[in-house]
Amino acid sequence: MANSGASVVVPRNFRLLEELEKGEKGIGDGTVSYGMEDGDDMLMRNWTGTIIGPQNTVHDGRIYTLKMSCGQMYPEQAPKVRFQTRINMSCVAADGTVDPRHFHTLGHWSREKTMETILIDVRKEMQQSHNRKLPQPPEGTRYS
Amino acid sequence: MAGGQLPRRIIKETSRLMSEPAPGISAHPSEDNLRYFNVMILGPQQSPYEGGIFKLELFLPEDYPMAAPKVRFLTKIYHPNIDKLGRICLDILKDKWSPALQIRTVLISIQALLSAPNPDDPLAENVARHWKDNEAEAVATAKEWTRMYASQ
Repeated sequence: MANSGASVVVPRNFRLLEELEKGEKGIGDGTVSYGMEDGDDMLMRNWTGTIIGPQNTVHDGRIYTLKMSCGQMYPEQAPKVRFQTRINMSCVAADGTVDPRHFHTLGHWSREKTMETILIDVRKEMQQSHNRKLPQPPEGTRYS
Repeated sequence: MAGGQLPRRIIKETSRLMSEPAPGISAHPSEDNLRYFNVMILGPQQSPYEGGIFKLELFLPEDYPMAAPKVRFLTKIYHPNIDKLGRICLDILKDKWSPALQIRTVLISIQALLSAPNPDDPLAENVARHWKDNEAEAVATAKEWTRMYASQ
């Protein structure tokens, strides 16, 4: 369904406008959300995502914010994703960057995926057995 | 569905846009995506946008012409019906779209919108308020933005 009529390619800016409108309406149960960081930026580069930590994990009740930057080659190329809220998680580097080598959604990116997909998949990753019980930094601390 | 094949209607519209461009408007499909057009509209005479060259982008979605083209300004512009991201409030791009309209009609309508800003149907609320409260000052700002952002 995502790719009916493979010949029609939505260009970057219109794709980001679609994502913006979807994000403004709100997604699903509200456990993930996102919006533009600077509403004046006509290039629509920088986005902020929010993930509410899943229940039955160490992340339960925590709220995580992430920065996503969409370059000129988006959505052919994945955005760069970085946690702002400190987190201990297998696919997150010491500075908060989500490492594409350890996170399938970014490592095997395709243009059908969206910022919503990324946030949902990061949240799923929090629920994986190797992540759900890892000791965490104090709540609400941020990367500098 | 044949992959990569462009509907006849789009091919015809494109060739006519190139061979008989509307005055003050140019539209060229990009090389790697024939549904994606680089557009330039000259600011109409006797409007605050006179002398400006405005860049826009236009995309024909998969269900065009049943659905309207998507159009956005790439050049910053101070106008009550165009927001900070260049999105345009124009009825024919939304509920008044009809497959009888064309890329050309859309671009001519956008050009006309520059001559006739409509602060009663605003997209950029602040700009619209400015327009209603002090039209002379709002027009001056629009001229200033035209000089700053739309001059080559």
